[in-house]
Amino acid sequence: MNVTQNLEFKQIRDLDQALIDSEVRNMGADRLLGRWMNTDRQTRGLREITIEQTGAELSVTAAGAGANTPIEWLAQSVRPLANLEEEAGQRSIALAADFDFGFMRAETYLRVNKGVLVIVLFNSFRDQSGRSDYVTREFFYRAE
Amino acid sequence: MEFAQIVDQVELEAISRRPMDLSGLPGVWINSNPHTNGIARMVMSEADGKLFLQVYAIGPEGLIDWGVAQVQVFGSTPTSVTGAGFSCRFDFGFADSFLQGMIMKGLLVLAEVRTFKDQSNRADYFVREYFALEHQRY
Repeated sequence: MNVTQNLEFKQIRDLDQALIDSEVRNMGADRLLGRWMNTDRQTRGLREITIEQTGAELSVTAAGAGANTPIEWLAQSVRPLANLEEEAGQRSIALAADFDFGFMRAETYLRVNKGVLVIVLFNSFRDQSGRSDYVTREFFYRAE
Repeated sequence: MEFAQIVDQVELEAISRRPMDLSGLPGVWINSNPHTNGIARMVMSEADGKLFLQVYAIGPEGLIDWGVAQVQVFGSTPTSVTGAGFSCRFDFGFADSFLQGMIMKGLLVLAEVRTFKDQSNRADYFVREYFALEHQRY
């Protein structure tokens, strides 16, 4: 790691040379793209996730388990992030994706770890239902 | 009751009106990686039923105090009243840091999303690290 001069920072990691490395900046999201199925067939959460790329734009859609039919999830914002995993020294892309249903907002991050797509959802309810905001994590395998 | 996944459709009787139990979150959380170049230590404290997080990160000449941010607390299910995670945001001007933590088997798994707002051309980044609660029992 080289410390770059004259840059503001709040931790040494902010000065990691990898952050201005063109190889990191131009890393593709290939490992994330595709259709992913929940490893838990009985899930009452997200059944599947599809990550696509058109040009530089990434999209994340999902199918929530519904009472009768799946419920469509479409991320309002998707941001690619350089994934700086400390111990493994991996260099890859993670995604931050936000979903807004009006009555509920889900702030999520997605990453691939050893071929498994992991999503962590921080769900916040905005209605007056009394439900608790909650965090959950689900795992997906590549379908195609 | 609206829901986007059936797990969120819960019986009204299952919803507790009790406030969230925050007792599992306050304390001093220490990074399990002694060689981290990111957040070294976090101090979570409770005041007036709210939680606040103070962060100390590794700098070139010692720890850098990020200051304090109020956190949003999350349970583990829509009916849970036990704090199992949190999120908060620090705005440094040149960058934002969005922290999302969840408790797993006593460890705090912290995800940090760093977004640069300056013209440095640095890539926004994501990192996950593990923190243990300092208990001072041994």
